[in-house]
Amino acid sequence: MSKEEMFKELSDAVVTCKKDVVIAAVEKAKGEGIPAPEIIEKGLAAGMNEVGVRFERGKLFLPHVMMAAGAMEEGVKLLEADMPKDAVSKKLGVIVNGTVEGDVHDIGKAIVSTMLQSAGFEVHDIGRDVPLQNFIDKIKETNADMVGLSALMTTTLQGQKDVIEMLKENGMRDDVKVMVGGAPATQAWADKIGADCYAENASEAVVKAKELLV
Amino acid sequence: MTTEYKLRMGDGKRIFMTKEQIVADLKEGMADAADLGSIPDLSADEIDKLVDIITMPSRMVGVEQGMEVPVTHDIGTIRIDGDQGNSGVGIPSSRLVGAMMHERAFGADTMELGHIDYSYKPAKPVIAQEMQTMEICQQNMIVPLLYGAMPNMGLYYTPDGPFENPGDLMKAFKIDEARQSMEHSAEHLTRDIVWIMQKMMASGSDGVNFDTIGAAGDGDMYASLHAIEALRKQFPDIYIEAGMAGELMLGMHGELEYDGTTLAGLWPHEQAPLVAKAGANVFGPVVNTNTSKSAAWNLGRAVTFIKAAVEASTLPCHVNMGMGVGGIPMLETPTIDAVSRASKAMVEIAGVDGI
Repeated sequence: MSKEEMFKELSDAVVTCKKDVVIAAVEKAKGEGIPAPEIIEKGLAAGMNEVGVRFERGKLFLPHVMMAAGAMEEGVKLLEADMPKDAVSKKLGVIVNGTVEGDVHDIGKAIVSTMLQSAGFEVHDIGRDVPLQNFIDKIKETNADMVGLSALMTTTLQGQKDVIEMLKENGMRDDVKVMVGGAPATQAWADKIGADCYAENASEAVVKAKELLV
Repeated sequence: MTTEYKLRMGDGKRIFMTKEQIVADLKEGMADAADLGSIPDLSADEIDKLVDIITMPSRMVGVEQGMEVPVTHDIGTIRIDGDQGNSGVGIPSSRLVGAMMHERAFGADTMELGHIDYSYKPAKPVIAQEMQTMEICQQNMIVPLLYGAMPNMGLYYTPDGPFENPGDLMKAFKIDEARQSMEHSAEHLTRDIVWIMQKMMASGSDGVNFDTIGAAGDGDMYASLHAIEALRKQFPDIYIEAGMAGELMLGMHGELEYDGTTLAGLWPHEQAPLVAKAGANVFGPVVNTNTSKSAAWNLGRAVTFIKAAVEASTLPCHVNMGMGVGGIPMLETPTIDAVSRASKAMVEIAGVDGI
């Protein structure tokens, strides 16, 4: 089997969303002598990307995304021992992600966190209805490169703007990229409040994060 | 200077577009629907007709003579009495008065009695009041009067119901437990809808309106289809309207099937045959409005989806037209310029049987 065929098999395995299928594919790829970083990047991550595409097109849904992410995680665990020492800790960037205060919506933000994590970012999901100061504290604590601010109601959109202002007040704005999202958020809103980017969905969040951080 | 026409964005904002821009947006919206649903594009003539409808100078437009269709209303009984929090106009009046105003003053062809909480589950503890109101309305009205509510399966999850919230379970990667919770909730929802409609049919209801099937995902649709099936079996002459919540059946469960078809991921033209199979009389397809796109984009997309649904459906299709659906902007009180244009397009191009 060629490397390309093996990568396709790994990718397809993730799209099945089944842990045992992914583990079998990873074991097979290891047996073929493919380096662990390539198995992850060109096989598993490519599969997760395809899951994201199918999710956005309404072909796969939340449980599938969760199962695929879980299956990929199991696959990656099998490869940890084979990863080059410097690669284990090498991440594309550190992102703090959460839903702003007053807003209890969680699922969309959780999908974005899962997709960012699967794409290679270190993600700190600090939950929903998060007091705005907690975003600032967590960014400081993790030395984050980006903050993701989710709001699902017009009444809580203001929280996104407030966090940007707080970043400025703390002298952190130049070091932290700001991504906003959620049903009422738009590119126009992002422009108005001075966010670095707006992502309409989880796949776009990954693309935008890569554009800004990689 | 190029002539510009008044349109709206999907959020209702007034915009001005040239004919070329309108055509481009119509085609882009159409292509989006065709791509997502794997359905045919509109013809060049149909695009031309859409352009004509959008660019008509009148503030309000109507269908051509002879193309009139039945119009029915959901929750209309409380649209008069309800305040803005309930999409109403806040004029103190009973539900009977609301229903009769729609019948005798507004020209509604069928009407629905709905409770202010407007889901089946909260109608259970007030069933005696609902039965009495239905009886009084039926004694005073001529048009078919249905009982209507939202299946709203979310009310069966914690903190509102007995089953653990699948959202919380999913976050903990307890996928199987989340699915079981949905399956249990679906059983209870089916049982509650059937029980409520047994009572309402005993009180003279002409039938039932399922308003926003699938709002809580595929489990919601699964429960609703089984309720339709059970009601058709118990009441062979019951009039059943099955209205959807959105264009795409969200797979919160992901694996539920009806009649061998996986419910997750179905578009309107794929939902229609299952609704017919379950035993409904009327299918109410929905296409959601994108607030970041123009009315032209949204209308091109909505008409493409609904035309395919009409062609695939063996039942009459009464398309959902209102705030945020059917190419109409997302406004609490949608503007007449947008509502009348979108409605005309649905009747004359998509070929819907009613609204």
